[in-house]
Amino acid sequence: MSTVQQQTLPKSQHPFVEAVKAFRQSWAGLLGFILLLAVIFFALAGPYLYAVDPFEIIWAPLTAPGLVENAPLGTDHLGRDILAGLVHGGGATLFVGLTAGAITITIGILVGSMAGYYGGAVDETLMRLTEFFQVLPALLFAMVLVTLFTPSIYVVSAAIGIVSWPTTARLTRAEFLRVRSLEYVKAAQSIGAKDRRIIWRVILPNSLAPLIVSATLTIGVAILFEAGLSFLGLGDPNTFSWGLMIGAGREYVLDAWWIVTLPGIMIFLTVLGFSLIGDGLNDAFNPRLRDR
Amino acid sequence: MKTLISIIATTAFAAFAATGVANAEPKSGGTLIMGTTQKARHLNPAVQSGIATAVPGTQIFASPLRFDENWQPQPYLAESWSIAADGKSITLNLRKNARFHDGKAITSEDVAFSLKTVKENHPFKSMFAPVSSVETPDAHTAILIFDKPHPAALLAMSGALLPIIPKHIYGDGQNAKTHPANSKTVGSGPFKLVEFKPGEHIILEKNEDYFIKDRPYLDKIIIKNFKDSTSTTLAMDKGELNILPFMSATRDIGRLKKNKDLTVTNKGYSAVGPMNWLAFNTKNQYLQDKRVRQAIGYSVDRNFIVNALHGGFSTPATGPVAPGSPFYAADVNKFDLNLDKAKTLLDEAGFKADKDGVRFSLKVDYIPGPAEMQKNVAEYLKPQLKKVGIDVQLRAAPDFPTWAKRVGGHDFDMSMDVVFNWGDPVIGVHRTYTCGNIRKGVIWSNTQSYCNEKVDGLLALAAVEQDQSKRITIYQEAQKIIVDDAPQIFINTLPYHTAYSNKIGNAPLTIWGMMSPMDNVYIK
Repeated sequence: MSTVQQQTLPKSQHPFVEAVKAFRQSWAGLLGFILLLAVIFFALAGPYLYAVDPFEIIWAPLTAPGLVENAPLGTDHLGRDILAGLVHGGGATLFVGLTAGAITITIGILVGSMAGYYGGAVDETLMRLTEFFQVLPALLFAMVLVTLFTPSIYVVSAAIGIVSWPTTARLTRAEFLRVRSLEYVKAAQSIGAKDRRIIWRVILPNSLAPLIVSATLTIGVAILFEAGLSFLGLGDPNTFSWGLMIGAGREYVLDAWWIVTLPGIMIFLTVLGFSLIGDGLNDAFNPRLRDR
Repeated sequence: MKTLISIIATTAFAAFAATGVANAEPKSGGTLIMGTTQKARHLNPAVQSGIATAVPGTQIFASPLRFDENWQPQPYLAESWSIAADGKSITLNLRKNARFHDGKAITSEDVAFSLKTVKENHPFKSMFAPVSSVETPDAHTAILIFDKPHPAALLAMSGALLPIIPKHIYGDGQNAKTHPANSKTVGSGPFKLVEFKPGEHIILEKNEDYFIKDRPYLDKIIIKNFKDSTSTTLAMDKGELNILPFMSATRDIGRLKKNKDLTVTNKGYSAVGPMNWLAFNTKNQYLQDKRVRQAIGYSVDRNFIVNALHGGFSTPATGPVAPGSPFYAADVNKFDLNLDKAKTLLDEAGFKADKDGVRFSLKVDYIPGPAEMQKNVAEYLKPQLKKVGIDVQLRAAPDFPTWAKRVGGHDFDMSMDVVFNWGDPVIGVHRTYTCGNIRKGVIWSNTQSYCNEKVDGLLALAAVEQDQSKRITIYQEAQKIIVDDAPQIFINTLPYHTAYSNKIGNAPLTIWGMMSPMDNVYIK
């Protein structure tokens, strides 16, 4: 074997294009993506395909799945159609997940980037604030927030966002600390770029990879959080969500397993979807993992 | 992947967390172990209403009268009594052998003092409002003097409402509501307090010096606190308890009914008269119209609620007085389900449906906690009232004080509510309907802001009517008007049940049930 094979360096591409390529090779990411598409289709198109009012009482309470035609997945403790609940509850569940996720990311990035970029007194102050929020028991704090206002889907989303941001903030700060001393940042500073431009246009795009991974996981956690709050009776009683169905059905779990199990499975699949996408993105963005 | 696994675990958690009695002679001895989820703050019913205090309180304190299962007064501390011909006084002849647990004799002074304490401190102001004085001509005669005839006084002299407390202890000038003796009680009832650990247990033992000969049979009563009704029910099912009163979760009742060693009964709650209803704020822009309130009445299917939602264990209610009371009126508008009539009434009231079929929107509140009687019925209203064009939004309250503040403060449209009759209508019914009792900030006053002068007149008349049958007639007329005016839609009475071991003899099933002395209860 004396021939020396010439190695060709791969053509350099935009890191995001490479990431997408890598993502497509990640089985976890793809599976998560398909799962999530299915859930989103179910939640968005479902209400049109299966136009039964989830609040309407259609049959005797606690009818098991498969017994009557008009309630294929059974009825809940009031006699409402479980399938209609699942179909109509998805939208609210996804809404809470995405809104709370967005709030988490926004606050987290704002606080983390300021702290990481400016350092010093700003860093000290913001990090103490972050730690303050981090040491509060999240579920209890969220319960207090929901209790202060009337439980509604918006209050619940906001409460989850407000208790969840410290992790994102710390992650952002760490990334900023790493990136801010790199040469291209120094270069930007040396040509007199304003702080705002450096933070948003120079450092943030280069710190984005771990933040995107963290964001997908945050959405999953927010959905579980909503389920937890609803389970404790702090959900919005006027909006069907999967968490609310579990919360209302928990008293009947010994007599009617389907009331909690079916929405439980839906939440499971959704969170699994987000989680797998997170895994896939992590593989895709991390060059060291890419060849594994 | 770690995150993934923990998420799977959490999701999985979220998804799955979820008389054949032989007759025997009563005999002495044995311990009665009772389970409850009600936490007593103290044990003095003279200054505190409610089940949690009344159950132990009526064992520790004796009262002038007690009642049998037919609403008939029976001698207790008073061995006899007489009502003056003009109805303006009642003379109580007290037992001469009655002593407090510390050995001091009970005199008419103690009766006068107790009545004064109750009148000044108990939340039920109407019980003894007409009492102008208590005369004590001798140590064993007490005469209650009224401004006007007061037939409700007899029921108000029950153990849960007028415990005789020792003047030599409470008369020391301290505030009765916070008196240290409220938790270290000295009474004269069949049982003495041994230990009171709030939220854990109350231990009572036989009063050897009890004024009724050869009573009580039991050596001891232990009242055990539980965190929730499920664990209480399981303990009862396993035989760790021998009596479990005030069960209201129909699943628990159904479960214990299957246990052959237990008797499960709904007797013993007719005096409490626990009403579950949908209350209206009659000042609301839509609900101020009687036709709208009636329309909601015709839209609610009580049979569905009682049979499908409550498993057939609750009883449909038709008016402000609970069925089982001598004052109950059956001849009232029953508001049988009639959606067409409801729509007609709403049309007549001038509330036309918009293009989406909605006439107007109303919020409904409910008491947080066990969902069956409150939240579930509120949830039922949402799709049901939609059928007649009323959009219903549920308003959850995170805790009881929030709910009480809203409803007490008249800041509500409709609310599910539970209100007790407490024996005589003067005590537990008038408060909801008299114009004078519209008191903002006070829960379980006339929070509906309902005012009908005719009803006011009838209630005032019934309060002083001495002839029982005439009194019943007046109350029936008043109920007929109230039900038709519909300040509430009466849904059901709470399905209170008592489960007790078949080894228990003479279970406490009088009108006051467990809120009366258990000196006749024995263990076989």
